Amino acid sequence: MKLHLAALMAAASIGAMTLASPAFAQVTLKIWSIDGVDRVGIADTFSKEFDEANDDIVVEYRAVPFDDLVQETLRAFATGNAPDIVSFDNPDFALFSSRGAMLDITDRVANSSVIKEANYFEGPLNSVKWDGKLFGIPKYTDTIGVFYNKDLFAKAGITEPPKTWAQLAEYAEKLTDPANNVYGVTFSARAGEEGTFQFLPIIQMSGGGYDKVNTEGAAQVLDLWKGLIDKGYASRDVLSLGQWDSTGVFNSGNAAMAISGPWEVDRMSEDAKFDWGVALLPTITEGGERSSALGGFDWGIMSTTQHPDEAFRALEYFAAQDNRIFEEFGSIPARSDIDLPVTGNEKKDAALKVFLDQLQYAQPRGPHPEWQKISKAIYDAEQAALTGQMSSMDALNQAQATIDGILGK
Amino acid sequence: MGRFFAGLRDGVGFDILLVTVAMIFLVAMAGLPLIYNVLMSFQQVDMFTLGSFIRPFAGIQNYIDVVRAPEFWLVTRNTVIFVFFSMAGQFVLGFALALFFAQNFPGASTIRGLFLVSWVMPGLVVGAIWSWILAGDFGVLNTILRNLGIIQSTVFWKSDPAFSIWAVVIANIWLGLAFNMLLLSVGLAAIPRDLYEAAELDGANAFQRFWTITLPMMRSTIGAVLSLGLIGTLQQFDLFPAITEGGPANTSTVAQYWSWQMSFQLYDFAKGATISVMMLVLVLFASIIYVRSTRHEVRG
Repeated sequence: MKLHLAALMAAASIGAMTLASPAFAQVTLKIWSIDGVDRVGIADTFSKEFDEANDDIVVEYRAVPFDDLVQETLRAFATGNAPDIVSFDNPDFALFSSRGAMLDITDRVANSSVIKEANYFEGPLNSVKWDGKLFGIPKYTDTIGVFYNKDLFAKAGITEPPKTWAQLAEYAEKLTDPANNVYGVTFSARAGEEGTFQFLPIIQMSGGGYDKVNTEGAAQVLDLWKGLIDKGYASRDVLSLGQWDSTGVFNSGNAAMAISGPWEVDRMSEDAKFDWGVALLPTITEGGERSSALGGFDWGIMSTTQHPDEAFRALEYFAAQDNRIFEEFGSIPARSDIDLPVTGNEKKDAALKVFLDQLQYAQPRGPHPEWQKISKAIYDAEQAALTGQMSSMDALNQAQATIDGILGK
Repeated sequence: MGRFFAGLRDGVGFDILLVTVAMIFLVAMAGLPLIYNVLMSFQQVDMFTLGSFIRPFAGIQNYIDVVRAPEFWLVTRNTVIFVFFSMAGQFVLGFALALFFAQNFPGASTIRGLFLVSWVMPGLVVGAIWSWILAGDFGVLNTILRNLGIIQSTVFWKSDPAFSIWAVVIANIWLGLAFNMLLLSVGLAAIPRDLYEAAELDGANAFQRFWTITLPMMRSTIGAVLSLGLIGTLQQFDLFPAITEGGPANTSTVAQYWSWQMSFQLYDFAKGATISVMMLVLVLFASIIYVRSTRHEVRG
């Protein structure tokens, strides 16, 4: 009991001291993100800079592993220990914004001289919006396209990258060379977010969306993909490989085409011993509707913060550094007002140009508070169709029924 | 007061103290989480009510939803395959190895000890190793089989729905083999030698000796090994994320992995709890059968 009292008194006197000397009052901002877990990234670097540049603010930065970030934040929010600022993968953002866990910053952005809504790409911006209000800002973005091995293309007498999925299948057949262990194409249809990431764009191209997945066009493309696997033009392991491993097969020359994103470019520049290029994701019919996946993270302020003004200042500082993120971290800013610097690496610059073009067609996953369940329905359907457990249309119909249940239709 | 402390030091008081300590530990560490889990399976659990105890009552809706899920029967089938064949493989091979090492050839006990390496290794490491062995295009096993002329085309152990659950079963048999062998070896060593000598004098052959002496004498050991095997197999989790991630198309998802997916990938904590409660009922049922079947036996 005595100890308790002493602790109380100590706390009270510390409190009194801070109250009495506002000149030295420091605000502590807790910032969480996945950056800095395995390598230096945007959030840890900029948080440190912001901390050093502002004497009145102390930043407590915490790097949380990707797999734990959502759970960890949920738990922290439930127990009242939530961070002030957090950076989520874009499909996870709605889980928090839809439940009032994120701070509405619509007015602050409207009055800000640094952050301007109009500068952001539409797709990334949609992922931080809920109910017409703005709950965060995009941190960076990425998307997917088709990498192709120009040497193998020339050998097979193909001059142009595929424009439609049917063409991709046709080329894959020509490019497959079992004697040399070369598959025509590789992609990721893994049972996880990566599977949805690569398959949802097909649904969107066919006129559907995450709320309408059972379209004719999507079933057609699934049939094409199944054919690729069954005939050995794509490895059956696309069902279990993630994008990074799948593209590794391309880099080693064992696949002539790969569906993946700009995060591969640096490694490919080093590993690939052949001439390569990037093309936009094929469409279902020639000149048909385009779409692509939208990746990347968002920044947001949690609604429980005691220091919304300081937290917003931090966001402004982060946004002001957007022109550095490509050069320093290889991430593409989600903004149309920033010209990316030329690196001098011809293939890399050409690839970036295509990806910037592709970004205009990138559409967000969701946003929906139960995105993870919707996503599972989509990749489950994809896998069921590709393994032949169900016909493509049946699999998509089943996914639609599950999604309807989630959306409460 | 003095008598109170004296009572604590010996006699009934001390007994009660020991029982209380054990019970407090059991209730706090196992009982409460278990009750909480059962409670959760009857509630609507929201991500934002995770911290609270009182939540809207959902009745048996969670159970209905789980059973109606399109993958429910597939997961049930996989769980049965996984549990049955893992246990059978671990037990049969473990018993064979135990009998083999009971022959007492030079170095037998040392080599038997080395077999434990597989059991000592963490499941995730074992999973990663088997993941490489079972890889499709550049897997070790496929290369060996192809060079031996057993297969012509690549077998996609991890990505073919016909093989995926078996890929995990194979890895799990390897992982649990040594533990089974060790327990069974201990049981074998406890059988008095003179029984065998007497049987041999009476003219019993090797098979008869095994059938009429070894097996009956090992009954309680076998019972223990099998029930531990059941618990171990239902607890096996690490191999799934490391080898197949439950795919393709849920063809290698088992109940424990499904429960984890529900709770920590889909953030549907109530259904995750529901699945684990259903598993608990299954294990309880199995242990009741085990206890009843061994009740009348004389343990030696």
